[in-house]
Amino acid sequence: MINWSTHLLTEFFTAVNAAEGEMVAITNAVERATEMVEAEVGAVVREGKVLGAYGFGPAVPEARLLAVAAGETLLDVIGIGEMYAVASPLGGEQADALIVGRLDEPFGAEERQMLQGMAQVLGLGLRSIRVLAAERHLRAEKERQATSAQTGQRLVESLLTIQRAISARRPLPEILDAVTGGASELLGGATVALLLAEGGPDRRLTVASTCGGEDGEPLHEAAARAAMASGSVLVRPDSTGTVIATPVRVTGEMAGCLVAHLPGGTDQHSEEADQLAAFAQQVSLALTDARTVEAVREAHHDPVTGLPNRALFLKILNRVLASRGTSIDPTSVLFIDLDRFKAVNDSLGHEAGDQLLALVARRLRGCVRASDTTARLGGDEFAAILHDSPMEAATLVGERVVAAIKEPFRVAGREIFIGASVGVAISREEFEESEALLHNADVAMYRAKKDGPNRVLVYEPYMHAEALDHLSLRGDLQRALREGEFRLQYQPLIRLADGAPAGVEALIRWHSPTRGFVSPVDFIPIAEEFGLIVDIGQWVLETSAQQVARWRREFPDLALNVNVSGHQLMHPRFADNVMRALAIAGLPSSAVTLELTESVLMSEPDLGKAALHTLRGLGVQLSIDDFGTGYSSLAYLRELPVDELKIDRAFIARAELTGEDLALVRTIVELAQILGLRTVAEGIENAAQLTALRRLGCGYGQGYHLCRPTDAEELPSRLLTQLVENRAG
Amino acid sequence: MQSIPHRWFGAGQSSAADSAKAGAEAVAEAVGGREPKAVLVFCSVAHDLRALLAGVRAEAGPDAAVIGCTTMGELGNSGMTTGGVSVAALGGDGFTVHTRAAHISESDPRASGAAVAEALRGLHDDHKVLLLLCDGLTGHPHDIVRGAYSSVGAVVPLVGGFSADDRKFERTYQFYGDEVLTNSVVGLALGSDGPIGIGIAHGWRRVEPPMIVTKSQGAHIYQLDDEPALDVLLRRNNFVGTAEEFFDNGRQLQPLGLSRRNGEDIRVIHQGDDEERTVWGTADIPQGALVWLMEADRQALLDGATWSCTEALARLDGLAPLGVIAFDCAGRRAGLVEGGMDEEITVLRQALNGAPFAGFYTGGEIARVRGASGLHHLTLVTLALA
Repeated sequence: MINWSTHLLTEFFTAVNAAEGEMVAITNAVERATEMVEAEVGAVVREGKVLGAYGFGPAVPEARLLAVAAGETLLDVIGIGEMYAVASPLGGEQADALIVGRLDEPFGAEERQMLQGMAQVLGLGLRSIRVLAAERHLRAEKERQATSAQTGQRLVESLLTIQRAISARRPLPEILDAVTGGASELLGGATVALLLAEGGPDRRLTVASTCGGEDGEPLHEAAARAAMASGSVLVRPDSTGTVIATPVRVTGEMAGCLVAHLPGGTDQHSEEADQLAAFAQQVSLALTDARTVEAVREAHHDPVTGLPNRALFLKILNRVLASRGTSIDPTSVLFIDLDRFKAVNDSLGHEAGDQLLALVARRLRGCVRASDTTARLGGDEFAAILHDSPMEAATLVGERVVAAIKEPFRVAGREIFIGASVGVAISREEFEESEALLHNADVAMYRAKKDGPNRVLVYEPYMHAEALDHLSLRGDLQRALREGEFRLQYQPLIRLADGAPAGVEALIRWHSPTRGFVSPVDFIPIAEEFGLIVDIGQWVLETSAQQVARWRREFPDLALNVNVSGHQLMHPRFADNVMRALAIAGLPSSAVTLELTESVLMSEPDLGKAALHTLRGLGVQLSIDDFGTGYSSLAYLRELPVDELKIDRAFIARAELTGEDLALVRTIVELAQILGLRTVAEGIENAAQLTALRRLGCGYGQGYHLCRPTDAEELPSRLLTQLVENRAG
Repeated sequence: MQSIPHRWFGAGQSSAADSAKAGAEAVAEAVGGREPKAVLVFCSVAHDLRALLAGVRAEAGPDAAVIGCTTMGELGNSGMTTGGVSVAALGGDGFTVHTRAAHISESDPRASGAAVAEALRGLHDDHKVLLLLCDGLTGHPHDIVRGAYSSVGAVVPLVGGFSADDRKFERTYQFYGDEVLTNSVVGLALGSDGPIGIGIAHGWRRVEPPMIVTKSQGAHIYQLDDEPALDVLLRRNNFVGTAEEFFDNGRQLQPLGLSRRNGEDIRVIHQGDDEERTVWGTADIPQGALVWLMEADRQALLDGATWSCTEALARLDGLAPLGVIAFDCAGRRAGLVEGGMDEEITVLRQALNGAPFAGFYTGGEIARVRGASGLHHLTLVTLALA
């Protein structure tokens, strides 16, 4: 969208400049101005007389036009009706004005500004015609005429150059330099500076562009401020010549000043003042245009990343789909969702989150061709349109995206590791809805995410049903939390040395009235995805803490293990939430161990560290769940306040453990002993496994062979049985 | 005895080769035995114009005001013709008709528009319109229309078209009574006690990016974006060849849109010079203007036709149209070649619900209802009478 009024001014200028006599200039100006704003009538009031009246027919309402020149904003004309009228001063000393009147709607700010510019251009033209006429009788007539005509032509050319730069959307500094450069050249190499007012109460003036001066030359700030305060051109002498200051407005507001310094006295420079005013007008238009562009950009672009937003993305996609000849040249859409972005945002703050998004956007752009479109759809979701990309090519780009996002980002002085899941949808049919295509890519992305981070999947129709289910699952989860459909089971942790129960691990269970039993493996990731996990986790913590506090009256040393999601850990109030739950339950913090999976700790080594140290300082213990399945780096064991390692069930899954299995478990146990950590073996299902682990020196165990997860009401009797059996054993 | 309607409108066409016969046939069909107050004649420059006007007069009767002009094609209910005649006739006590003609002076083209506007003098009917038929090759179409508007003002709407000479661009003619004029404007001030509606629509759209007219004079464009204008047009159209080949075989008429508050002011470029690398049309293109190439597909043009008719009829205060005079740009014809013309006529018939219509393919259209500018290009202007 190009600002329609911007370039009309040059067109107008050319028409007025071509006139040789005052009346022709006025007629041309009135007609062009009237047509350009689609007004019905126009006129000029000059020295108290109405000239060039246009559109009134035979009866010109002179008195009413004079009233408009004096400030009246409505113009009632017999036979036409009441019109909106605007009078724009021609500059100079008289109250001369260019007037237009329109029936259908009032004049907007932009139109008024353009009319203002036109009036100034006309005033400039009329004054130079008059000067020219007066000087015709002088000796140097011919020479003078030639010079003046030349100056006029140079002014037009210079304005045209600036006009082109504005229309071509050249960078603003370049346009402003063209203005000061052009003005300086026209004024015989005078110093010309553009001062723009900054925002804020003191409206400091800064030099936006300058030409022809030497460093250290005074800025003539006083003159600029005076011109801005009066809103009109100011010509004042100084010690070395004359300062001309012409105010610059942007949609009516005072925005700055164009200042020139010329040699000689003030009486020689009235024409130069007019010319400088014409350049100031160009600055106004360039700034107005830039602001309009910015507004349009804001409406269509995401301010954080500078990428097109969802609305623009869909528009572009629509256009691409519509212009496509056949399905021979398929268009692919990638839907990119970041993994673990929310955690960064929650723990490091929105500013860091925004920085990360901007960096992601840059990497995304690097993964596609220049002709392809990338967009930020919202939150941590991005998308890309790939032209003429069959499935293989699109998948390759998707993999490139995943690889690029996997590389660490440096934000707020830290290394951040995130991932991306990518869904790909390819237009197959001749007529494809942009929304539908994007939705399919979205569905494929969900499916990819479900399989784990950093995957790329191409949409298949069956995914749609899955996605629907996925969405309804979210609704069901919200209801489950609200309606109290969750409950807890408890599985004892048994001290292998004597078989005594040392603690219980709280395990969440969901029996949905519509779905039946839903495994945590299925619903926890979705709760995490939709941000429900913090509330669910808190419920688990509060409920189990209260339960264990009650049991501790009978079993005073009973401890509680609770699983914590990475999403909870990143929550800024995590430590507070934990301590509050324990305080309400009356459970000592030393009785609580939080279990975190190795992959969560590894993927965000920095995130949540502070919270864990706070909690550790308050006595809460930390356990690494599924130990041994994650990365091989063990550095974090030194850095984090870990108390316990839970050996993943994968190591002891075989009914009869092989020598190799045993060697691995022994390594872990020995490592834990060196670091002074407890070890818990998970998934003990038979006596052989129990014996082997006990022999290896593993401290604690869990598993069906020892005790199944049990409802709260049955647990005390189980614990008693366990104690009794072991005493017996 | 047949009763004479208070206001009537008729249309007729002829493809007869004999000019006198063609004129007489078309008028007879339009008049249908009634006594016309005004007869508008649109015909090909290929006819013997004096003989044709004699045929018109014979059927129209001695008192009818006759105006008309040569065309780039004629249109009416029976279809579109090239080399034919199309006639609109109106009469009845409800209509008042005054006519004027003026020569277009090279030094003061505005005066012709203002002079013809004098036809409105003494016209006191409730509803008025000034219809102008102007020579399309003077190079000053804006000035003529501005001249008329400066005299008439916003009180009375303007409609009309610019005459053409098929596709020769050599000399076009205007008819005023029994005279054949050239380089002239003829005006018909029409008063009516029934409503008058005017419709304006095109159907063209911009092709990005825009260009700046960096050098132009009158209707000649020398440079676009500092580059020879012909080179730019050929490149933007992916055309390799001479200017003549481009305008004859490639793109007969190249529309350029000037940026305006509510869209574009369209100019038609129809010729170029291989030596100078310049291009030109029939109306001035101001230096410094920002222009777009314009494009249209057939459907958009047809929709434009429907819209123009709908708009004109909507202004008839709910009355059924007696008939419509259409000023259709020849450039639209170029965009509707190969069967599209028939489609357009079908669209007009449907949109006008069977009401009679007559008109011609122009070298520029005139319509001013709102605002001050009345000159259009590539537009269908319809004048509906009720």
